[in-house]
Amino acid sequence: MVTFKLNGKKVQGEEGEYIIQVADRYGVKIPTLCHHKVLEPAGMCRLCTVELFDGRRSRFVTACNYPIWEGMEIHTESELVIEGRKLLVELLLSRCPDVPIIKELATEYIIEKTRFKEENDDCILCGLCTRICEKMGSGAICLTGRGVEMEVDTPFQIQSDVCMACGACASFCPTGHITLEVINNRITNKNARLIPSEYDVGLQNRNPIYIPYAQAVPNAPVIDRETCIHFKTGECKVCTEYCGVNAIDHTQEDEIIEIDVGSIILAPGFQPFDPSKLDNYGYANFDNVMTSMEFERILSASGPTMGHITRISDNKEPKRIAWFQCVGSRDINNCDNSYCSSVCCMYAIKESVIAKEHAGDDLECSIFYMDMRTHGKDFERYYNSAKNEHGVKFIKSRVHTVIELPDSKDLEIRYADENGDIKTDIYDMIVLSVGLETRKETVELAKKLDIDVSKSNFATTSSFTPVSTSRDGIYVCGAFQGPKDIPQSVIDASAAASAAGELLSTSRNKLTKEKEKVPSLNVIGDRPRIGVFVCNCGINIGGVIDVPAVRDYAATLPYVEFVTDNMYSCAQDSQSAIVQLIQSKNLNRIVVAACSPKTHEPLFQETLTDAGLNKYLFEMVNIRNHNSWVHKDNPETATDKAKDLVRMSISKVALMKPLEEAELNVNQAAMVLGGGISGMTTALSLANQGYNTHLLERNEELGGQALNLFKTVKGEDIQANVSDLINEVKKKENIHIHLNTTLENVEGFVGNFKSTFVTDGQENCIEHGVAVMATGAYESQPVEYSYGNDPRILTSLELDKKLVDNDSSLSDLNSAVFIQCVGSRNDERPYCSRVCCTHSIENAIELKHRKPDMNVYILYRDIRTYGERELAYAEARKEGVIFISYKVDNKPVVEIKDGKLTVTVLDHVIGQSMELETDLITLASAIVPYRDEKLAQFFKIPMNDDGFFVERHAKLGPSEFATDGVFLCGLTHYPKPIDESIAHAKAAASRAVTLLARETINTSGTIAETEPGICSSCGVCVEICPYSAPSFIEADARMFPGKTQINPVLCKGCGLCVASCRSGAIHLNGFDNDEIFAQIFAVNE
Amino acid sequence: MLGYIDKIRGISEKLLTEEKVDMVIGFKKGTIPMMNEPFVARNASEVKDFVWDSNCGINLANYLTDRKETIGIIAKGCDSRSIVNHIIENKITREQLIIIGVPCKGMIDHHEISSMFDTEITEVTENGSDIIVKGTDFEETLKKDSFLQKNCKVCVHRNPVIHDELVADMVDEQKDVDRFEEVNKIEVMSQEEKWNYFNDLLSPCIRCYACRNACPLCFCPTCFVDESKPQWVGKGPDPVDTRTFHFLRAYHMVGRCTDCGSCVRACPMGIDVRAFTKKSEKDCFELYGWEAGLSIDKRPALETFKQNDPEDFIK
Amino acid sequence: MSDWEPKIISFLCNWCSYGAADLAGVSRMQYPPNIRVVRIPCTGRMSPKFALAALREGADGVWVSG
Repeated sequence: MVTFKLNGKKVQGEEGEYIIQVADRYGVKIPTLCHHKVLEPAGMCRLCTVELFDGRRSRFVTACNYPIWEGMEIHTESELVIEGRKLLVELLLSRCPDVPIIKELATEYIIEKTRFKEENDDCILCGLCTRICEKMGSGAICLTGRGVEMEVDTPFQIQSDVCMACGACASFCPTGHITLEVINNRITNKNARLIPSEYDVGLQNRNPIYIPYAQAVPNAPVIDRETCIHFKTGECKVCTEYCGVNAIDHTQEDEIIEIDVGSIILAPGFQPFDPSKLDNYGYANFDNVMTSMEFERILSASGPTMGHITRISDNKEPKRIAWFQCVGSRDINNCDNSYCSSVCCMYAIKESVIAKEHAGDDLECSIFYMDMRTHGKDFERYYNSAKNEHGVKFIKSRVHTVIELPDSKDLEIRYADENGDIKTDIYDMIVLSVGLETRKETVELAKKLDIDVSKSNFATTSSFTPVSTSRDGIYVCGAFQGPKDIPQSVIDASAAASAAGELLSTSRNKLTKEKEKVPSLNVIGDRPRIGVFVCNCGINIGGVIDVPAVRDYAATLPYVEFVTDNMYSCAQDSQSAIVQLIQSKNLNRIVVAACSPKTHEPLFQETLTDAGLNKYLFEMVNIRNHNSWVHKDNPETATDKAKDLVRMSISKVALMKPLEEAELNVNQAAMVLGGGISGMTTALSLANQGYNTHLLERNEELGGQALNLFKTVKGEDIQANVSDLINEVKKKENIHIHLNTTLENVEGFVGNFKSTFVTDGQENCIEHGVAVMATGAYESQPVEYSYGNDPRILTSLELDKKLVDNDSSLSDLNSAVFIQCVGSRNDERPYCSRVCCTHSIENAIELKHRKPDMNVYILYRDIRTYGERELAYAEARKEGVIFISYKVDNKPVVEIKDGKLTVTVLDHVIGQSMELETDLITLASAIVPYRDEKLAQFFKIPMNDDGFFVERHAKLGPSEFATDGVFLCGLTHYPKPIDESIAHAKAAASRAVTLLARETINTSGTIAETEPGICSSCGVCVEICPYSAPSFIEADARMFPGKTQINPVLCKGCGLCVASCRSGAIHLNGFDNDEIFAQIFAVNE
Repeated sequence: MLGYIDKIRGISEKLLTEEKVDMVIGFKKGTIPMMNEPFVARNASEVKDFVWDSNCGINLANYLTDRKETIGIIAKGCDSRSIVNHIIENKITREQLIIIGVPCKGMIDHHEISSMFDTEITEVTENGSDIIVKGTDFEETLKKDSFLQKNCKVCVHRNPVIHDELVADMVDEQKDVDRFEEVNKIEVMSQEEKWNYFNDLLSPCIRCYACRNACPLCFCPTCFVDESKPQWVGKGPDPVDTRTFHFLRAYHMVGRCTDCGSCVRACPMGIDVRAFTKKSEKDCFELYGWEAGLSIDKRPALETFKQNDPEDFIK
Repeated sequence: MSDWEPKIISFLCNWCSYGAADLAGVSRMQYPPNIRVVRIPCTGRMSPKFALAALREGADGVWVSG
């Protein structure tokens, strides 16, 4: 250790350190232009010159490369030093009068104008570029020439071969002398360019070391081996000098790990279609034509423009944006993707609505589409509101030409409108709604795994095993199964897990390990003894906030017994230290001031548990995400804020009480309501995974709506498959079938339901841990198109029945008409029934196959054959089925005259009314839910305006309810075809098994509790709780009849009841009134 | 009025004699003018004390809280709405009650009349639409309609909304009143004007909690002002505590207050605390189409949630 | 103007706004250091009493987000 004096203060440094390093550590700033901590010092700029007193006399040395020695005295701001530095700056200013960093220095040293002759250079010959170039291991540039001729250049001024175009020289150059342009024009013979960020689809750039995106899991940086120079030259390693915890290990190699598995689930996803190969839209050449993925980033608050919508060409706000649908979908002319990508219509509508929200209502949004496919739950409503409330324009047309106007870079488009007229229009921006396709690599993976893929490169599956690939034990979910949106992907994912779970149920829990339990200390009644740990988080917190000051401040606060700061509080050694300190210092409350409780609270709580302390005696102070990271330019106020926050948390934690988490057994039986395809599939899946399952069906036989269906779109025989399924269910020992059954009553809650039902007049009661709603829906009875007045007018199901029965009346038809959207997409039912387009097309093809010269017409509004169902649409057209679109305000007219059946419809293409004489009219009637209010009441599950049950989360929780332990699948959720119903059924089983498999459930500690003595029985809590946790104590109870109690299992700890309780009778453990008040009261010192 | 009284006494007597109820709650003449008192008749002989005039402003629903007996109760429009609220909030059951509805033409504002005279009023009598006020040294006849309680002036539910008996034919509801005139006036004030207005309004408050005690909605076993852990409101005369009390009390009334005026009537300092509740009444009405106490099947506005509830006020 | 700075007490829902504030940090968005966050489990937990208490404790503003 070397001790010396720095500006009169005693400081210490390691032998061999330079003055500037020690000064930096002690917070003494010495100006420099040529020094960088990762490079060897060179003493080039001389700005760091300081005064050295060696005991006898003073001299001047450069701090960057003068080693320290015992007893020396250094002055960094003496009069002579300042005077000399001023001269140096003045000289630099004369050489580089326009360089910002020099100008700043000049201002700092109060030099208005240089007295020397001004040159027009921008290089100060600091040599940072040449030194970093050497460090990178390339040495492409050096200082050439002598004296006034000296400059940075390549040998012989030839664009270098050895240069790796890494750009390090440019990023180190303090003056801007070396830029990307300079590198490309003078230094390298390669192409130096910024690295486009994959996440921002190239709209922003990233470093070779980067966190892929803010929500990445794990949220740790990765090194991109392709661009990292170390992996090219073995040199650099600059990053290691910055990492405070030595986490970077360049020697790590990819490893091949072999694991034994019983099943494989494929979820490789998709890639967005690349429209640069399409020349008609000019994506590759026109700045203001972008893909929907790029537009998503533009709309995102965390995107390159922070959600501000601007054009790429001139950063101007667009006034008119057009979306082109079906780019890379439903197209075999420009690409090979004949299928529909399923999601683009909806995302385009969403983008247009959000764009209007961001930019204001005067932004004009137009969507050019072929068929608007809003077939998902609540999607049709969204479409209607985009049209009617937000004023998004929908134009039915495929644009054929886009021209970029030379000066404005606006885009002129040409298209034929619905009447066939050619229109021209100008837009500021065009968004291409690109489709989904399978990656090449995924197709190769499929080959390697020996599973079949369809012509469209999606995994081949059957409608009855929608997540099973062609190879046993290999399952598939998400967009590789077929293009689909989030809810459907989530359903698939759960279904695949269920399929694998069924296969491997005998091995369940074989690899799980139990953690040892530490006996917990009793601290009730003890005076609070608070331990405070303030984290530096490397330099993430410590670089902005004065951590020692916060630590010392905390020590002055009431009940604080111990304080310390950690480099990383979350590190393993810090955790063990916390455990030890809790025990040795007898701490009974812990405050950690570090990052977010949302990410790290569980970790610290586990540490408390390991020390025997109840995990709720803990508070986290977020001084990183909410402080140092967002106030980096205000270190002082950030430190004050950190102190405030620490004080608030200390006040709160002192009041925290140890909380119990009760453990409850989960009854291992399940109840499935509904014996249709969905209910049977769920029951079978649960039974296959070893759970006793009661299957309740209202009718006298199993099968549900499927009993009326003919074939799937893939041509599979539904009757054969359903009877197989019924037989399998009947054979299964642990499925208990209850036919002719109605549910009469349900008591209890998750894990412990008790249901009463009546079978053939006989009352039964079962106990079960979970319940699945698979109660289905039915076909509506049409009230239009003369339905019921003529036996030749059928509904879709009636036609199916005839097809199943091979009814002779179908054999001598000359003409058949299908009318779509009968009872769907109208005011009464503003939803799309999803299956009818495909269904009618299937049957149209069937009729054509039976009698090829039959005239078959489908009268439709939008054909919604999403995914690979689109292929059936194409086939129907090929087979000669005639599609005529009609408008909702000009519906087809059905007439029965003299025994003749006619349909009159306005054909838009020819602009004329057509009268079709026909022998058969099939009405694609709506799918209607049962609207079972009683069931909704039993399980406290919500229902939407249409009468379908509302799942926990439209995107992420499609198979379960907000009510714990209750799940749903099939038509009761929304109309869907058989393959989706089966996937949904398996998904519901999968979600249910996550609960059943745990065998016990822990209640949370942070739940509400009533104090019955204060309760006024007003019932507000009972009314408002979304989870039905509060209830009245029975009137005949011994204690507190009529007051409320809260079921700890159902309570989610949201505190709605607490805030609503006028009497103050409800407490929220962990966030109780006095605890929150303590925080509020501590906001000021 | 005399007709009303006979009918009230008659019905009460019948109910008590036939033992259909254990008691009848109504009014008897107060010991000071313009202040009729609540009176509980437990047997038929007591019904002779029941009176009815324009001084029956107290909300009798207040006397139903948590009672176990069967009760006959005299109810004007606002009382009946408060009874509805009591039923909704489990303070009494519908089966326990026989509601003797009284179509009401408004109660007189005793604060206003008292403030007109410097010396004590010794007697106030009613004659049709006139009120005769007598003191030791004066006698004056006033028009009743001009001296109604403020809440009665804008009342649109004078008839009982729920009743088993009626003492008279329903009266015509007031049509052309601007129910929220007072609120509208405050709403257009500048921030500073509002501050001053409420400051002046609350400055006489002595925190006696008479408003709370008179209010049929204030039935919590322990009121928040009396709690000590946490102490929501300081006990001292700090104006901040006074404001806090009034603000929070007003919050507790949202969607429940029937604008019966009991609070104002009970206030010894004559503070119009309805300034707070009237605003919440207006918001409930305009945002959710909600009026308190009209149906025993519907919970108050803030306890229900509809997808299409307006949320423009959330910023 | 003086260099007075307001102190704003913000009640943030654990599930959305608190997480959003975390994300603002991750994204290094810079904003003035005037807020003091009180984490609540849901804005349903927010009581008018908290807002009043904050104001009377000298807060210059109360921000509820969820």
